[in-house]
Amino acid sequence: MKNKFGSVYFSVFGLFVLGFGIAELIIGIASKSFTWGILEISGEFLVWRGFILFFAGLFYLEGVKNLVEIHQLAKVVMASIMIWIIAGTQIFSLITESIPGGEEGGWLNNWRDFLSTYSPPYIPSLILLPFSLVTIYYICARKNKVG
Amino acid sequence: MLSVDERWDLIDKISKKTIKFGKYRHTLKDAIGELTVKPLTGIPVAIAVLFGFWAFFGAFAGFFTDGFLVKLFDAHWLPWLQKVFPAAKDSWFYYIFVGDPLADNCFEAFGVFTSGLFVAIGVVLPAIVAFYLILTLLEDSGYLPRLAVLIDTALHKIGLHGYAIVPSILSLGCNVPACTACRILETKKQRFIMMTLLAIFIPCGAQLGIMLEVIPESVGWVILYLLLGYFILGLVLNKIVPGKSPEILLDIPPYQKPMLGNVGRKLWMRTSRFFTVAIPFVLLGVIIVNLLYLTGIIDWLAKALSPLSMGWFGVPKETVGPLIAAFLRKDLAVAQLSAIEMTKYQMITSVVLVSIYFPCVATFVMLLKEEGGKGLLGSLAALVVTVFLYGGLLHLIWILLGVA
Repeated sequence: MKNKFGSVYFSVFGLFVLGFGIAELIIGIASKSFTWGILEISGEFLVWRGFILFFAGLFYLEGVKNLVEIHQLAKVVMASIMIWIIAGTQIFSLITESIPGGEEGGWLNNWRDFLSTYSPPYIPSLILLPFSLVTIYYICARKNKVG
Repeated sequence: MLSVDERWDLIDKISKKTIKFGKYRHTLKDAIGELTVKPLTGIPVAIAVLFGFWAFFGAFAGFFTDGFLVKLFDAHWLPWLQKVFPAAKDSWFYYIFVGDPLADNCFEAFGVFTSGLFVAIGVVLPAIVAFYLILTLLEDSGYLPRLAVLIDTALHKIGLHGYAIVPSILSLGCNVPACTACRILETKKQRFIMMTLLAIFIPCGAQLGIMLEVIPESVGWVILYLLLGYFILGLVLNKIVPGKSPEILLDIPPYQKPMLGNVGRKLWMRTSRFFTVAIPFVLLGVIIVNLLYLTGIIDWLAKALSPLSMGWFGVPKETVGPLIAAFLRKDLAVAQLSAIEMTKYQMITSVVLVSIYFPCVATFVMLLKEEGGKGLLGSLAALVVTVFLYGGLLHLIWILLGVA
């Protein structure tokens, strides 16, 4: 049952990741930007980010069949790690931007500007990040099963 | 010496006699390890890892340099030094140690205590720490040997093998330890190719840090151009240099969690080298370049070499000064370039030229030590030809694009 849920979940999620990857690739190659609600497709290394998301999406879709099999699960884990790399570096970059006071300001940022750094819109990987964390459940479930 | 097949046969025989095979159940780490060495899955993962490497490097270095150290040096250190320095503002002593009395930032002042300290501590140190931190994590997690396996086929085309990725990546930190790391390559031919390639085409961490500060929007193009050169020159050298390029057996450790203590020790060991080796060279470099300016030697050289710099490479004649400084420290030279008025395209050409031009003096000494006089002369011959062809080619590209 858990396996079936996982397969359906990661199939749908994989399609979203693949879609975002294609969107980032197209927008990156066209040198444009796109904002819709909390989503923003722009910024540095857009083509590279798109390329990574595209392959992460393919890995998810490739890994969903028979998720309990270790090599299949490894593909899903690898795809999630790729999303975590992009999202992790983006979060790190937001933190490093939010602390200093800027050219004209003091050493440290004021509270308002500090908090506003973390406000939306966000890049696709950041939006995908919480949904990719389901992978951790499957890693732990496997660990418990194997002992 | 045994051939590769004979070696494998011998390994099979020994393992059959000495190893008892039990049941082994694949773990998740094993399966992930397999994915990272297969080209179809391994290459996208490698791109993700390198993306993470570069994004972290930029954010970490930018946090310290742009966030705090630029302000510290420009708004506090420089005005204080200009006020209290015990020498007349028009004296040569002031010029060498503080630099331009009218400068309002440390990049343009170009004194030992202004630009020298700012480049070394304000710009390069954060970049070096970021680079070595990530490199250590990749090494200790077990990813680096997998990258070596992944890139083995590509590196064979240029006469090297997968382990050449170790000196190549180390060189992105500093060329000096990378030259020593070339000892892991088996033959003289491989060591010669590797050292020549890293001396010419791989910018060190100090240089990367300063490039990120001076030409942030063009760093990607510069690196792409250097990477292309790395493979093109590698192909040429593999064809013309006599000798063998044998296969190698790589031992791949399992993935593991890096230990904090080990990471800290390695990071300290590598970064402390920067304090003892690089910083004195940066400061000495500023003194020598300032003396050359004061005595008029750089102006004379700039005029004498202007047909080459302006005609062939398409860069302003003032770039001769930074090119001389590049022999002492390349980061210093890129910092100097930022003070010269030129177009974006001329800046890209100048930065590429500084990168592929003579290795810094520390690397030069290492090349002599590792390759000997004959090998060094060979590397320098390859370098001179590459600088002329590559610099001229870049100028030609700008002419064809109509931006030169």
